[in-house]
Amino acid sequence: MRRWALPLALAALLALAGLAAVQLLRPVEPLTAAEQARELAAELRCPDCQSLSVAESHTAAANAIRSEIAELLAAGQTPDQVRRHFVDRYGEWILLSPTAPIAWWLPVAVLVVGGLALTGWLLRGRRAAAVAANAPPADDSLRRRVREELEELDA
Amino acid sequence: MRLAWLRWLLVPVVVVPLGWLLFTGLGRDPRLIPSPLVGKPMPAFAGTTLEGDQFSSADLAGKPAVINFWASYCIPSCVEEHPVLLDLAARHGNDLRMVGVLFNDTPDGARGFLARYGQVSWPNMLNADGRISIDYGVTGPPETFFVDAQGVVVAHHVGPLTASVVADGLALLGITP
Repeated sequence: MRRWALPLALAALLALAGLAAVQLLRPVEPLTAAEQARELAAELRCPDCQSLSVAESHTAAANAIRSEIAELLAAGQTPDQVRRHFVDRYGEWILLSPTAPIAWWLPVAVLVVGGLALTGWLLRGRRAAAVAANAPPADDSLRRRVREELEELDA
Repeated sequence: MRLAWLRWLLVPVVVVPLGWLLFTGLGRDPRLIPSPLVGKPMPAFAGTTLEGDQFSSADLAGKPAVINFWASYCIPSCVEEHPVLLDLAARHGNDLRMVGVLFNDTPDGARGFLARYGQVSWPNMLNADGRISIDYGVTGPPETFFVDAQGVVVAHHVGPLTASVVADGLALLGITP
């Protein structure tokens, strides 16, 4: 069982990578204009509410932005152009998810560094176990000495 | 432990950035959003005013302008800044043009506000569909834009106007307060 552990772990990782690849490479169906508009509205912050997206709110400003999104899409603008349209007016503030690359890469970096540290720690544990296994068994003189020293400490 | 010294790396890598973030971040006003419009041409607008006239951004051309977004429910901020606006119009009405824009408000509400706190000499856009607010990136009244004679936005103020804010805006417009 023990020598199967590492191959099993590798196989599991490979399976995970395969599933992720299938998920990513699967052909996506194009969104309808209404779906596209809803998706964009969900990405934009409602200007006159607290912490709600335009899609979730029915304030006057959110309604106005929703109809503007629909109009811009109908006029043939791409989702990126629509996003830019609002960023040009409100600034990055209007976007609910950050566009700064560090915000996205930091968790990945932490995961990689943490994974490396964990791997190093596990490998060191294996090496230490191997060293312990190869150590010569304690002989009688050594046992006697340990007992004597313990008794000295107790006294 | 061979790697024990690594724990000291936590200080520059984690403690210092986090401390700096908390120290600077907590003191910031979350309402203060840098406007991307400053330095850019003012967005064009056109529509009906409270008096039923047609007014457009083209009518502001040739002179510096102050564009003020407000609402009758915006209490106390819009009430506080109302005398500042009246004073600005009285003193610099010849140097610049002023226009008010209603933010999510009804004409009756706005008329009631003006009747109570003082009639104004400048036009006020109804902005019924809210498009002007979107084009100017306004998140809530009051907000004020200072636009120079070439139609470029030189300053954006969020919150009630005060005499010193107006003086700063006028200085940017090249008008001695």
